[in-house]
Amino acid sequence: MNRLLRGLGLGGITGSPQAFAVSLGIMALLLALPALHNGYLELTFRNILMFAAMSYGWNLLGGYTGYVSFGNVVFFGIGAYCSAVLSAHHVDSLLADVPVALVCAALFAIVVGVPILRLRGHYFGIATLGIALAAADLANNLDVLGGSGGLALKQVPQEQFSLYYYAMWAVALACMLGTFAIARSKLGYAFVAIRENEDAAQVLGVWPTRYKVTAYALGAMMTAAAGAVYAPANGFVDPSIAFAVDDNVFPIVMSILGGMGTAAGPFIGALLLAGLNEILQSQFVKIHSLFFGAIIVLVVLFLPRGIVYLIGLRGGMRRYLADRAAFRV
Amino acid sequence: MQLFFQDLVNGVLAGGILAVAALGFSLVWGILNIINLAHGTFIMLGAYITWQLFTSFHLDPFLSVPIAFAIMYGFGYVLQRGLINQVVRAPILATFLLTFGLSLLLVNLALIVWTGDTRAVSPAYSGANFTVAGVTVPWTKLATLVAALLITALMHVWLVRSKLGRAIRAMAMDVGAAQLAGVRVAHVYAVTFGLGAGLAGAAGALLSLSYSLNPSMGEPFLIKSFVVCVLGGLGSVQGALVGGLVYGIVESFASQLDVTVLGQHLSGSGLQDVIALVVLLVVLVARPTGIMGRAAA
Amino acid sequence: MSADGVLRIENVGMRFGGLWALKGVSFEVRPGSIVGLIGPNGSGKTTLMNVISGVVKPAEGEVAYAGRTIADVPTHDVCRLGIARTFQVVKPFAGLTVRENVAVGAMYGRDGATLSTAACFDRAQALLEEVGLARVAERPASDLTIPDRKRLEVAKALALDPSLLLLDEVMAGLNASEVDEALHLLRAVNARGVTLIVVEHLMKAIMSISTSIVVLAEGKKIAEGLPAEIVASPAVVEAYLGARYAARQGRGRT
Repeated sequence: MNRLLRGLGLGGITGSPQAFAVSLGIMALLLALPALHNGYLELTFRNILMFAAMSYGWNLLGGYTGYVSFGNVVFFGIGAYCSAVLSAHHVDSLLADVPVALVCAALFAIVVGVPILRLRGHYFGIATLGIALAAADLANNLDVLGGSGGLALKQVPQEQFSLYYYAMWAVALACMLGTFAIARSKLGYAFVAIRENEDAAQVLGVWPTRYKVTAYALGAMMTAAAGAVYAPANGFVDPSIAFAVDDNVFPIVMSILGGMGTAAGPFIGALLLAGLNEILQSQFVKIHSLFFGAIIVLVVLFLPRGIVYLIGLRGGMRRYLADRAAFRV
Repeated sequence: MQLFFQDLVNGVLAGGILAVAALGFSLVWGILNIINLAHGTFIMLGAYITWQLFTSFHLDPFLSVPIAFAIMYGFGYVLQRGLINQVVRAPILATFLLTFGLSLLLVNLALIVWTGDTRAVSPAYSGANFTVAGVTVPWTKLATLVAALLITALMHVWLVRSKLGRAIRAMAMDVGAAQLAGVRVAHVYAVTFGLGAGLAGAAGALLSLSYSLNPSMGEPFLIKSFVVCVLGGLGSVQGALVGGLVYGIVESFASQLDVTVLGQHLSGSGLQDVIALVVLLVVLVARPTGIMGRAAA
Repeated sequence: MSADGVLRIENVGMRFGGLWALKGVSFEVRPGSIVGLIGPNGSGKTTLMNVISGVVKPAEGEVAYAGRTIADVPTHDVCRLGIARTFQVVKPFAGLTVRENVAVGAMYGRDGATLSTAACFDRAQALLEEVGLARVAERPASDLTIPDRKRLEVAKALALDPSLLLLDEVMAGLNASEVDEALHLLRAVNARGVTLIVVEHLMKAIMSISTSIVVLAEGKKIAEGLPAEIVASPAVVEAYLGARYAARQGRGRT
């Protein structure tokens, strides 16, 4: 059985095979959602899929390679503004938007990544945050991006509303399958080796810079694709939407909740948290952010390794408690 | 030329506050190795405490400084002891996220309690200023700078002379050895974090005189505190002071920037975060241990 | 896996701040030999290992293997020259299984580019059997005992298909029977044509396995030769036990 699973590439660093199968199953169900002709549900799940893609984008460098970026929203913004600028030049096709966004995001990640990936731990995290904040500043000031007023994109006719749902679904699926493919290949193991012990990895032939930048760029592309689809779907982009500070953190919490460094974790985390957020938003309009903050606190305290880890945990409660005891002072 | 000196003075005045704001952040980072993403929020709370005392009891803001310090110290102590101590030894992501979640919680609580309306603390003397050699100096800003220097000096003396202060510094060097020497780690951790929060509260109290208040006013101070710490050198009072003053001056001059590049008009005052980032990257490349120089963990 | 090339260490010096950890160290390692590197604590053995494996660049002198200067090669490419090493402080990839740990070496080693992922795992499994870890192949590396962790270090290094293997105190902390197993393994690896440089404190072990010995003290090479010569050398005795003991030895003999 193990050989069969290994042949398919399941297990190993892709994480729990059961969780991945469940995720694929849910994705298949979601494909049929537009048949329900419920605009509200479509919008909700489109957002969930968007967050899933963003979570996958963070997970590759943060979960697998161990470099925690606190500014991944910059890539979402790049993707969104690529679509917006193209629209301003009368190009309104996703087939143009997404590839352009991918290229821009990858280039940005490589140029920025090479210097800042030399930083470790806290420094890297805050450097990425600084970049995201600086990007927002720039967007506010650049006329070609519409400044603080933002840019409007071509209005989506009602019949085409579902098109953006399918597009976001495709992006999320690509991210999920892409992460899985990477995690079962040599590339995934290079990432994890760097995370576990960068010096030992180097001696085994892994060139850290090359692989860190690769992880950063691949994750950037995932996040940018989400932004590129979001912009025309939303019809409008401005710095506060494109570079929302909270969008830095939600993908991280979602990845953690679901299980960081796995192929199913980001999707499960996004499903749970974005879904929960949606429910909270409709029930508690004023204080849903309050709940979200509380949820983040609870997740960190009680589920530091995420749900997928709990599913695969051998030794049950005892091991879980031992893990948590090791974290406290 | 006069403009140069005005910018310089403005920079020094702003820098003093940045130093106090960053000092708490530096202590917590340098000694506990915790990046407190709720630091800006603590500053905001200090400002609102001051506003509340000013509005309800007409208490002069400068007198609120020790009160804000005390309240935020207690709050920080309880937070560390009760919550943050649970994940102190976990990978850094845990404290990053925990403090972010707390920040989100607190900002939203503030929104509920005080609403999003902009507030201001304006005692009778707020507009007054004096002019020397053509440079205008507002009285409140000067008093703020003096208060900031006073707080910084007091903190330094306390850390060096008092038993608890020495315990904190011992812990920064080696937790295991400190524990063996009888230091109650959980308590000292909480004291340190409490001090960080208290200093943030005090900074917020001072800031309330110069900035208008709203629940998200603390955000810019988080990233600036980080840059000040990196710039000045981590974990020392002198580092925060030097870093704050230098950064204040740099920001003051950079805000005067007014150029047109490729037909795009750019003004320094709207690019604060870009300035912060540039300073950060320059320091990390040129002198990673900061001006006063001890390397971070 | 045939041995290729001579390791030439010429006048190597390394310093940290004002302290010279190594000074003027020169010797040669012939292919197929087992060189034991010994010396008191702080004599620079690990530093020398770090220089040979390209982890640090020497301040003076040169290390060349099969004609290539190590210092010119980036650390992550050194394994492509055929050099592998173990670390004194063992640090496995804790989040990976034992087999995955070894597979990483196969993936990015000398011939890694030509191996498929499955082939890497196959090589890893074979190596685990050779070092005696096949029974824990699926366990997380963090679960291993110290002796098993040492075995894992060796297996990871072997996964690189090296022609020169540096072993830094790989037998520290092992009991007598474990030491015998380790020696047996090292002899088997050497028999395949892999040149070994072994740093150890266990005198009996290293004397029994080495074809020649190099002795370091305070960063300098103080002796080199066959094990029997080294044991009788007054300079070596002095380095380990001090001048007065050596003098007493000398008087005792005459």
